[in-house]
Amino acid sequence: MDTYDTVDSHEHPDEHLWLDRLIKVGLFLLAQSIAVLLVSFVALLVSFETSWSATTEQQASLLQPGDARSGTLLLKDDGATTEAIRLGTDVDITVSGPTLRTRVTQVFRNPTKNWVEATYVYPLASDGAVDTLKMVVGDRVIVGDIKERQQARIIYEQARRTGQKAALTEQERPNIFTNSVANIGPGETVLVQIEYQEPVHQSGNEYSLRVPLVVGPRYNPAPIVQSVDFRNDGSGWGATTSDPVPDRDRISPQVLDPAKNAPVNPTSITVHLNAGFALGEVESHHHSVKIESPDDRSRVITLSGGPVPADRDFELTWKPVADKAPSVGLFREHIGDADYLLAFVAPPTTEQATQKPLPREVVFVIDNSGSMGGTSIEQAKASLLYALGRLQPNDRFNVIRFDDTMDVLFPTSVPADAAHLGEATSFVGALQARGGTEMVPAMRAALTDRLGDTNMVRQIVFLTDGAIGNEQQLFETITAMRGRSRIFMVGIGSAPNTYLMTRAAELGRGAFTHIGSVEQVEGRMRGLFAKLENPAVTGLTARFSEAKADVTPAIIPDIYRDEPLVLAAKLDKLAGSLEIKGRVGDRPWSVTLPLQNAAPGKGLSKLWARRKIGDAEVARTLREMTPEDTDKTILALALDHQIVTRLTSLVAVDKTPDRPEGAPLRLSEMPINLPAGWDFEKVFGERQQLTPTQLRERRADAGQPAARRPAPVTSDAIRLPKTGTPAELKMIAGLIMIVLALILFVFNRRRTLLTDAA
Amino acid sequence: MPRFISPFALALIGAILFGDGVYIHAKAWLAQVLLERAFERSVATGETVKPWPWADTWPVARIEVKRIGASAIVLEGTSGQALAFGPGHVERTAAPGERGVAVYAAHRDTHFRFLRNVSVGDVIEITRRDGKHLLYRTDSSAVVRFDASGIDPATRDFEMVLSTCWPFDAVTSGPERYILHAVLIGANE
Repeated sequence: MDTYDTVDSHEHPDEHLWLDRLIKVGLFLLAQSIAVLLVSFVALLVSFETSWSATTEQQASLLQPGDARSGTLLLKDDGATTEAIRLGTDVDITVSGPTLRTRVTQVFRNPTKNWVEATYVYPLASDGAVDTLKMVVGDRVIVGDIKERQQARIIYEQARRTGQKAALTEQERPNIFTNSVANIGPGETVLVQIEYQEPVHQSGNEYSLRVPLVVGPRYNPAPIVQSVDFRNDGSGWGATTSDPVPDRDRISPQVLDPAKNAPVNPTSITVHLNAGFALGEVESHHHSVKIESPDDRSRVITLSGGPVPADRDFELTWKPVADKAPSVGLFREHIGDADYLLAFVAPPTTEQATQKPLPREVVFVIDNSGSMGGTSIEQAKASLLYALGRLQPNDRFNVIRFDDTMDVLFPTSVPADAAHLGEATSFVGALQARGGTEMVPAMRAALTDRLGDTNMVRQIVFLTDGAIGNEQQLFETITAMRGRSRIFMVGIGSAPNTYLMTRAAELGRGAFTHIGSVEQVEGRMRGLFAKLENPAVTGLTARFSEAKADVTPAIIPDIYRDEPLVLAAKLDKLAGSLEIKGRVGDRPWSVTLPLQNAAPGKGLSKLWARRKIGDAEVARTLREMTPEDTDKTILALALDHQIVTRLTSLVAVDKTPDRPEGAPLRLSEMPINLPAGWDFEKVFGERQQLTPTQLRERRADAGQPAARRPAPVTSDAIRLPKTGTPAELKMIAGLIMIVLALILFVFNRRRTLLTDAA
Repeated sequence: MPRFISPFALALIGAILFGDGVYIHAKAWLAQVLLERAFERSVATGETVKPWPWADTWPVARIEVKRIGASAIVLEGTSGQALAFGPGHVERTAAPGERGVAVYAAHRDTHFRFLRNVSVGDVIEITRRDGKHLLYRTDSSAVVRFDASGIDPATRDFEMVLSTCWPFDAVTSGPERYILHAVLIGANE
């Protein structure tokens, strides 16, 4: 330093003092930064290591065999034998008019030398009401009772401990059930039979039934059986892959492989079809079948190739011989002191087809609040631009955007001509996500019907993520102001407030569409426009002239083309008539069904109860009912109507002592109608491709706690949000740049000094 | 002195970037201070109190892990904006203390940084906006994909899940999430 002074002091002493300090500071900062960087890198590595190992330990300690493999086949761990319980399934379906009754017989056979307990998880139709459990042991039939779930579990466990045979049917999900059978002796066979009631599905001219049979996702084409994946079970806690669905194809072989020696699950199916009208085409979509025709109104359908592995859904559709399906169906059943009614009404669709679609007034509302930031606003804009492109020249439209402020593009709805559309397109294109979410004023503006032109259909398309907390206020606004407007909610983003969407659409008598990615925009919006452009049957009400009725669904939703209106009701007396009123497009429509014309049906009370339970569950989801009230309602309905719900189970215990060992199993004496062609030896001798998933086995003497119940991932599985900030990335990048700058600076300065010195 | 322009520009950009990173942390910290105040008022008045007038969200609960002295105010919703200020209560999941699973998510480098120190068996305390105080015990942890969380939204038990990005010290975001599962063990007013 002194040298510098002596050399330079005669010129600018002050500047050199300043420079000297600067260099010192610079070097200090440089050293500091390098130290910080080193420390942070070391910290990064060290902390990564420790946290990683800590977690693995936690996982390892928590991973119990039962958890990890629940829902899959558990082989014995004593190593003595690896042969597992075998299972066969027989499905017998009787269709009587609007309902079908399915009897599922599962045969559990224990080829081992130990007493075992078997648990089998299986799918059923989601609107089915399971009401009967029978267990056949040897030549005795034990009929199950409906009990509260906990109580049933206790009864079952007690029987299991005391060595009695017991069977338990529990509901895991509305469409997933578990059968447990305790104390199957060595070499023994136990039959478990459950029965359930279900409505026939109708779409346009076609009637259908579907039996979900344990499925690999490859064969799982329809959304009806979306949640039939048992493998993605409770192993979510502690295991590394909790949901195999996204990569199911990749892992399937691995899952199949250990199951090569596992039981076969051959399934035979018989359908007794009594449609109630002259039958036309009857078709099985995924299985080859043999169809016999005793008369023109009934068919008997059996699998032509004998039992099949349960690897795909059985789907049967049938059509009436006439071109048009009957447009009305009315069925009754008398149980206890009440009458139950099931009504099918197909609205007059053919008239609509010839009718020119009505001109529409569409008000688009787009949420550009801060919560829509990122891809959400892009999806919303793309959806809205697509929608604008779909408008017809004689339509009128308006656009409203809102955050905590609000803009209405046109003072009143304008014709959808090129000029107005152009203006709207540039308005939408310029939107940016920011600010708060004041949804109520925007909804109020959208609902304000300035034109009052009753010749036009008034529709509101509301694009939002629904990130608000004052839902109730919004619902009240909709209820108070909806008038003749229909509200179509378009949920944007990966986690929109579905409660808000479904409820707003329901109250607004519209529909809810969810758009989760930009790729979905076009398909979903096209679907939405099909609903917007075809007049629905709206304003539906059902009124009984004399009887006091408890109708489900309580609020009848709008019916779109080809959908029938299906009503179930509990009546105090079967008298008078049922009047259904509505509007098809702009025309009033009503139909009166005299109740005395109703045909007798079977199991209608159970269907009514099942739908009431569904309504209660929906009310719970919508937080209309507290969980406690919901449980109370469901429990009362379930016990009244003897059906299995998430709160009630069927349990059967064989009170008599076990039959002597070695006695032959005399299947012929069993009072169960096994279908012809059921050859037990053949069935159990087969080694077919199987679904490795459902059979769980537990040794009777195993002291392990019950494994976690399988929890299939449903379509509404929770997606976890992205939770990393770029803070560290930015800080590190920033630091590196500062350090580089300092090095450059010092280097340059030194060069300057050296030049100066020279 | 043109030769100093480039290092100065570099330093400036570096400082901005660094400042941006610091800002994220500062915002996260400051928001928690404001949220703490709003939450206190919320508990006292029983009404939704916005932490600042233009906020798009509001505090709904406080999460505490007494053993490691960690605490955070939870916001409603998990939009990017909300997560910058505090942990978010994932939409469509149950409220704490209700039947079902309450899921909270937060950034691994800010509010849920403490999750790495929470071990199985720790007690997590939740104070709801209505003043109800709930105790959960962690019983498992897992690393999952964001779209395959394995969390059962329709569970019959009283459960809670805290979720953050995994691994904790990565500097870029990936598809993996660290989830900590807890069950309700007690409640008091």
